[in-house]
Amino acid sequence: MRVMVLIKATRDIEAGIMPDEKILTEMGSFNEELVKAGVLIGMEGLHPSAKGARVKFSGAKRTVTDGPFTEAKELIAGYWLWQVKSMNEAIEWVKRCPNPTGAEGEIEIRQVFEAEDFGAEFTPELREQEERVRVRMVAKS
Amino acid sequence: MRFMMLMIPKGYETAAPGTMPDTKAVAAMMKYNESLQKAGVLLALDGLHPPSMGARVSFSGGKPKVTDGPFAEAKEVLGGYWMIQVKSKEEAIEWASRCPGGDNEVIEIRQVQELADFPADIQEVAGKFPELQAQQRKGA
Repeated sequence: MRVMVLIKATRDIEAGIMPDEKILTEMGSFNEELVKAGVLIGMEGLHPSAKGARVKFSGAKRTVTDGPFTEAKELIAGYWLWQVKSMNEAIEWVKRCPNPTGAEGEIEIRQVFEAEDFGAEFTPELREQEERVRVRMVAKS
Repeated sequence: MRFMMLMIPKGYETAAPGTMPDTKAVAAMMKYNESLQKAGVLLALDGLHPPSMGARVSFSGGKPKVTDGPFAEAKEVLGGYWMIQVKSKEEAIEWASRCPGGDNEVIEIRQVQELADFPADIQEVAGKFPELQAQQRKGA
């Protein structure tokens, strides 16, 4: 199963403060362990929300707001995508993570939808369509 | 430039385990996903099971503490994401606006950090990890 492991932003991260070399080196070692264990599928860091925007939907109307999103209690600073056997395995890996954001760090682990998770509402036509999109998407990247 | 479009569906924070999106919504979203792919901007996408099937690990005081979902204090949670390759934030906003989002949904657009975006000393640290660099090149 795949999980998305979300690193929650802190005030420092949102302010664009870079982590120090010690934590970066520890994170690098942790990531290499994940690669060697065949767990790491992907990972990215996100620029602070000041460089972002939000689009709100209301019928046909779209309302765009530029970041930063200071009222948002939970913003994402980055994520990993992992291939694991269970949520427990994912949790064990996260517990070993060198706290990426410092004292108040928080990481959220979420299960990723796979095609086999869906029932009949994901019709054969939709499954074929999804497969086409995924194959071409991978080919592009 | 790469951007993530983060789908934040209101109410998903309390969705029960095993909650499935409805067929009409899936069909409309699949059409949108196909349009992203045909335009050559789609790099990746995934849907996420609700937080009631997830967990959180917090690190206060250096010790990891595990909490199973759902998370009572969460007002917004991630429902899924797209990663797109476009020329500007404005183009990313245009694409997000074309999403068949519902009245209870918000898409947050965030720029993905590239190695070149970081100062030289940080890029140097990244250079110390060959396995990781190989992995990133594979996935990128």
